[in-house]
Amino acid sequence: MGACRLMIDVMFGSLVGLLTNPQTMGLMLIAVMIGLIVGATPGIGGRLSIALAIPFVFGMDMTQGAVFLLTMHAVNGTSGQISSIMFGVPGDGDDAATTIDGYPMAKKGEAGRALGASITASGFGGIVGAIVFAVMIPVLEPVVLSFSPAEFFLLAVLGITFIAFLAGKGQIFKGIIVGLFGMMLSTVGMDPQTGTARYSGDYLFLWDGLSTITAVLAVFAIPEMIALAARGGSIASTGGEIVKVSYRQLFAGVLEVPRHWFLAVRTSIIGAIIGMVPGLGGSAAAWLCYGHAVQTSKTPERFGHGAVEGVIAPETASNAKEGGSLLPTLFFGIPGSSGMAVMMGAFLILGIQPGPAMMTQNIDLVWTLIWALVVGNLIAISFLLFITRWVALLTFVNAAMLVPFILVLVMVGVYSAEGQWENLIILLLIAAIGWGLQRYDWPRAPFVIGLVLGKIAEESLHKALGLWGIGFFTRPLSLVLIGLIAATIAYAIYSNVKGKNVMPAGAGS
Amino acid sequence: MKKNCTIRVALAGAALAAFSLAGPAAAQEGAAFFKGKTVTYIVATAPGGGYDTYGRLVAEYMQKYLPGSTFVVRNMPGAGHLVGTNAIYASKPDGLTIGSFNTGLIYNQLINADGVRFDLSKMSWVGKAASESRIVAVAAQSPIKTWQDLVSLKDPVNFAVAGPGSASYVETVMLANVLKLPVRIQTGYNGTDDQLAMRRGEIVGSIASRSSYDQFVKNGFGRLIAQIGGNDPNLPQMSAVVTDARAKELLALIESTGEIARLTAGPPAIPADRLEVLRGAFKQAMEDTDLRARAEKIGLPVDPLYGEAIVRMINAALKQSPETVALLKESMERKK
Repeated sequence: MGACRLMIDVMFGSLVGLLTNPQTMGLMLIAVMIGLIVGATPGIGGRLSIALAIPFVFGMDMTQGAVFLLTMHAVNGTSGQISSIMFGVPGDGDDAATTIDGYPMAKKGEAGRALGASITASGFGGIVGAIVFAVMIPVLEPVVLSFSPAEFFLLAVLGITFIAFLAGKGQIFKGIIVGLFGMMLSTVGMDPQTGTARYSGDYLFLWDGLSTITAVLAVFAIPEMIALAARGGSIASTGGEIVKVSYRQLFAGVLEVPRHWFLAVRTSIIGAIIGMVPGLGGSAAAWLCYGHAVQTSKTPERFGHGAVEGVIAPETASNAKEGGSLLPTLFFGIPGSSGMAVMMGAFLILGIQPGPAMMTQNIDLVWTLIWALVVGNLIAISFLLFITRWVALLTFVNAAMLVPFILVLVMVGVYSAEGQWENLIILLLIAAIGWGLQRYDWPRAPFVIGLVLGKIAEESLHKALGLWGIGFFTRPLSLVLIGLIAATIAYAIYSNVKGKNVMPAGAGS
Repeated sequence: MKKNCTIRVALAGAALAAFSLAGPAAAQEGAAFFKGKTVTYIVATAPGGGYDTYGRLVAEYMQKYLPGSTFVVRNMPGAGHLVGTNAIYASKPDGLTIGSFNTGLIYNQLINADGVRFDLSKMSWVGKAASESRIVAVAAQSPIKTWQDLVSLKDPVNFAVAGPGSASYVETVMLANVLKLPVRIQTGYNGTDDQLAMRRGEIVGSIASRSSYDQFVKNGFGRLIAQIGGNDPNLPQMSAVVTDARAKELLALIESTGEIARLTAGPPAIPADRLEVLRGAFKQAMEDTDLRARAEKIGLPVDPLYGEAIVRMINAALKQSPETVALLKESMERKK
């Protein structure tokens, strides 16, 4: 009881400490702004921004420096959705999941509603992520350590089976073909087992695999821009009339999150747990949660045509995972992602020694960081909701003025992500395929899922087989995941068959 | 260490004095060249991580000692440092492009591996910032307490390495082959994956650079049982405990690549006066008390060497017996 009281004291003491220190709050404001600007620019990752900010935090107070960097990193994902919803230009692999339903919403003139929902969802995800962080502290070890390569493999396979739902009714074979194509392209590069360069010729830039951001922009952004240019008019095709993006529309979007609160809570928790387990990567969280939203929806056919749940799920997940990935970084001293690896370097500079001792010696700092995640997300949401009204007007700008600008943005993003001009050629090649898919109404989401999860599946399968041989999947958690995969496949077949019987005609409309 | 440092400073002073007597005109011309110029410092990895941190530190302080110049760090990741290194090698040798990459590329050059478009012995070597001695680490929960325990195991245990062709892969495979270590090598553990796997228990040990395991050991998750290079008095030096001549030769090679870590180099044939100026600025940067303080705080060891000394070490490392090269080849080209 006494220990509990003490814990609560520390918990709220650090919140009060954070809020009443004007200098820290000022730094947080600056950090939120920088984080949002960096996040809105395609191709510049959060990692680079932390690396560049390190010299500035040198000499700062330990707590302030850590709060500054963490807030900057945490709100990074919040602004990336703006371009993915408004122009169909995702900033990275996570945002691509938001594009699938966000951009169709913008096309319907609902950019305001989509942005309202996605901004609120990412803030909500960030806050739930912080709560999961706090709750998980006592059980961190068993949870994180129960995910081994065998489970990574099965999680990736589970994500791949969601393709069946993403493709839409009657399109399941198209979905599988596109998904397999994505998986095929995920094998480009160095074979993780033999070290042989596959499909790479003499081109060193292909050794590390196809650049995800390039493929994502090629499949989503470029075809949409071609379609927009060919069609003329503006992104929001509301018949020429400018729908006023009012605060009311935005607010309607904000309210979508409480309306779908149960989905938002589930996807936030899934996101936070995926973030906690190093090795699965950020894009996996957004895609698994998008798939989960489609799978559990009563009306999965709305997805891909502007379903607001399709915006909420990936956005909650990608912000919630930040809270999660901080856990192994702080308490194991083992960073959960490349972004966190940079963060850990910065923590060391500030004099914070990540490791189990944090739990006993620095618990007030830990709580300050948790609160910083919450407060930082709140600041980011308020700010974005405030400016979005004007930003969303861009979807009513004439294509002739907008398309060249966006194409430049896409190309700069592709180049600056890895600094290799060859990726511009890859962009063109894949864009041709993406344009074909879009033109003939084939699903495009399975492509990204195949590309992102195919790589994880292959690498983890190799590891699991190397460690345990063919019987690697007999651990309890693995069996649960196998059950989920079997259920997903069975349900997909069932609903596909049923769908055909119930709606023999007009299924594709 | 202190004494060592004093000697180094004295030597540096002597060198500088000799240098200033020998060619003041040339040096001045070289230094003047950098005024108002932008120097690109290529780091062959993505932002974050050791190479990037050292690179940014070196660039920042070299700029301080090349008045009027601007250093820009450019990350060129890809193909295990090959992309960045090839780019440095192919850049214009005007002294305005230098950079840093993994010394493990010595192995790639020795066996003339795919993707090598450079000759390390021809590069313009500026200096190195640290040594990265290797250690053998095992998980804390493992019953292996000493090197002897490991060698005398009956059943092989899992050791983690990064992707095939990486320095960690090559070194572990070579040592396991030559010393007939009872280890099964598991590939694909990049970054800190191996440490997490050691915590889970699926991996028992790893041969890695010491700095990457300091924190892990400090947190009580693992222990070190041997070192290759390095000067830890409590750890057995691997070259002292093995008897096989081939193994000793290999260990010397690994030791020398560990010695030249966190290097800075430019393309071949940078004009001598400009290279001297770059070396001078690098040396001043390394001796800067601010840099030392910052490096110490982040836990980056600083143990510099300059110019010609590096050239000698690189040339020595590139001279290997055909047997060693064959062994390297065998280890890098994995059985299909």
